[in-house]
Amino acid sequence: MTTKVPPESGSESLGPEDREADGPDASVLLLQSEGTDAPPTRPLAQPGALLVDDDEEEAADDDTPREGVVDRPSDPDVAARIRELEERLDRMIGEHARGRDAEDGTSLAVRSPPRATPSTRRSARPPDPEGALDAARDLRSSEFYLQKWGRLGLRNRSEEVDEFGYDPVYERKVLPLFDFLYEKYFRVEVHGVERVPAEGRCLLVANHSGTLPFDGMMLRRAVRREHPKHREVRWLAEDGIFHFPFLGSFTNRVGAVRACQENAERLLEQDALVAVFPEGVKGIAKLFKERYRLQRFGRGGFVKLGLRTRTPVVPVAIVGGEEANPMLSRIDYLTRAFGIPYLPVTPTFPWLGPLGLLPAPTKWKIFFGQPIDLQGYGAGSVDDELLVGRLTEQVRAEIQQTLDRALGDRRSVWFG
Amino acid sequence: MADYLRAPTMSGSRASSSGGSPAPALSHSGSLTPTAPRSRTRSVAVTGATGFLGSNLIGSLEEDDRVGRIVAIDATPLAGAGKKTRSYEVDLTQPSAEARIAEILAADRVDTIAHLAFLPEPTHATAWAHELESLGTMHVTVAARQAQVRKLVLWSQTWLYGAHPSNPNFLTEKHPLRAPRSEPFFTDKIEAEEQARKLAQRSPGTVVTILRTAPILGPTVHNAFTRYLAHRVVPTMMGFDPLVQFLHEVDAISALHLSVVRDVPGTFNIVGDGVLPLSTVVKLAGRIALPVPHPLARTMTALGWVAQLVQAPPTFLKYLRFLCVADGRKARESLGFAPAYTSREALLDFVNAQRLREVKLLAENAT
Repeated sequence: MTTKVPPESGSESLGPEDREADGPDASVLLLQSEGTDAPPTRPLAQPGALLVDDDEEEAADDDTPREGVVDRPSDPDVAARIRELEERLDRMIGEHARGRDAEDGTSLAVRSPPRATPSTRRSARPPDPEGALDAARDLRSSEFYLQKWGRLGLRNRSEEVDEFGYDPVYERKVLPLFDFLYEKYFRVEVHGVERVPAEGRCLLVANHSGTLPFDGMMLRRAVRREHPKHREVRWLAEDGIFHFPFLGSFTNRVGAVRACQENAERLLEQDALVAVFPEGVKGIAKLFKERYRLQRFGRGGFVKLGLRTRTPVVPVAIVGGEEANPMLSRIDYLTRAFGIPYLPVTPTFPWLGPLGLLPAPTKWKIFFGQPIDLQGYGAGSVDDELLVGRLTEQVRAEIQQTLDRALGDRRSVWFG
Repeated sequence: MADYLRAPTMSGSRASSSGGSPAPALSHSGSLTPTAPRSRTRSVAVTGATGFLGSNLIGSLEEDDRVGRIVAIDATPLAGAGKKTRSYEVDLTQPSAEARIAEILAADRVDTIAHLAFLPEPTHATAWAHELESLGTMHVTVAARQAQVRKLVLWSQTWLYGAHPSNPNFLTEKHPLRAPRSEPFFTDKIEAEEQARKLAQRSPGTVVTILRTAPILGPTVHNAFTRYLAHRVVPTMMGFDPLVQFLHEVDAISALHLSVVRDVPGTFNIVGDGVLPLSTVVKLAGRIALPVPHPLARTMTALGWVAQLVQAPPTFLKYLRFLCVADGRKARESLGFAPAYTSREALLDFVNAQRLREVKLLAENAT
């Protein structure tokens, strides 16, 4: 209460503003206290109020006067006073703005309530030639162009990427390319996508293929388009890819995440749908003659991950990808010096330059298997190497069988 | 020594504030303060007191009733300190610093040291920086053991994890520190952390809290990253667009404050929420990105650094190519630190102040 004294003894001109600022706060507080007090007391005082089908707010209005008899009459009073003071303030601002130049007007306008500013400002500042001059000066300064440049650059990007670097706006921009690849180029055929759970964390385990791995993107597109819930797949990519300029940031923006236990665990904790390629670099480094022969599945990292996070595993077999970029040979002599694990030799690659990396238009088929539930195993099962090995082998065998069956049914690499 | 002699008279009336420690000689003045229910107040020493973090931490500790006395230690005297603060001039690069600090800690019955005497940006004077950061920390830890200080809070940075393509998207505190060892800026700080951990091992009663902050941005702070964004044209690595995260300066100070008043031993990543691609950072800052192929950038920066034309040695370029983002969950759960600003908000706050500075509406603060 002692703090209230100085403003009153202060200058006259500040008086109304101060009181005006106190006024609404005080009334809001009163209203709030009524609101918070009412609910607990109302059901006790008037049990029938809940049964009445009337508007809830009306009932509250009926109740409040009975409890807050003292507060209620002061309300319209306060409101009227506020309105009066606001009008006075508006008038004062208007006079000031008319009397003084623009600078005084703005400094007063800052202190006045925001509701009053637009009208007074507009009346105070008719469109003057100075504005045009300002605009011209803007056009001359490099700052202006810098800003425009920055805005143009941001238009293609979303305001915020997610915590793993996925940028939805950017993906939408490149989506036509992916859709072209999906529909027209690889003509992807999807079987059993409904076996992917409609919600909750899930691990898709697939064979890896292709010198340039398109399988992650195609798997993402497939689930996004065909799954009844249109779930989003985040796929884990080898960290080799992040060494390279452009490739790393591009795949990251369209949804890939670097493959490591920490990332996978964090994604699964958020109940995401995560695709992994346990073959890793060995998978995409397969020669043409080794196609569809699954490589070692790492050290069973994905099974440990599934056990630890209690995530079901869905085996996925992708047919077609392994012929898209047939690798005849790979050169791993001296390539380490350039930061790449090996140099692929395909019928087209080193000979046609980067163009040679374009995949062949093979027919793709993606088969989803039955989910394998890993929830039943206990807490210590992660350290049980026998169990991890057995489960890894089970998943691997299932993918291999699906691949073999699909290859047996297939008539042509190009038309399926 | 003159400072030291003057100090007791300066804060004679505040002597009661150290009343928590058993000091029978001073107990008569304890009756001067009516705040009897408070059982114990802390006496906090802050090294690097004139730096950004030091001076602001002292400012926020001044307003905390739980802190009775603040001892500011720096090579230059602290200007405009509050009533609780005593300022001492100690040069950590001097061999005599150890004995001097021990003396001060004992005299003021310091129970907590916030060791913030680290350089926020690389320097050409690497030998001096080594003396200050690595050996300075040694002096402080040894003095802390001598004076039986209960707690040490050390400022460190998430940069020490190093930027690598093999980093997980969110580095936890368990991750090894893999910053380039050839760069003294990082090596000295890693050594400082090791010394702090050694102190925790040798004297088990001591609480050692290490705070690794993300690059700090805000309206007033100056460091390597604010220098990077200060130019109109900002070099980026062609084809690389790493995710980066920031910490607002206010959050950095509140995290330090929290770890001073709460006894939570361990290492914590102190980071703002959210990540931004570097390209977005440059655009939000209203700068022009100049993509440079990284081999070229490395040679250019190496030459520029030798010629003192650029502000950072080439080892920093890795942070423009690869991820170095830390996970702040541990600090949230154990330390109770929740950042008030996201990475994006911290950046925008910095950018707004920068704009005002450019049109001379905001005075450049001397740091």
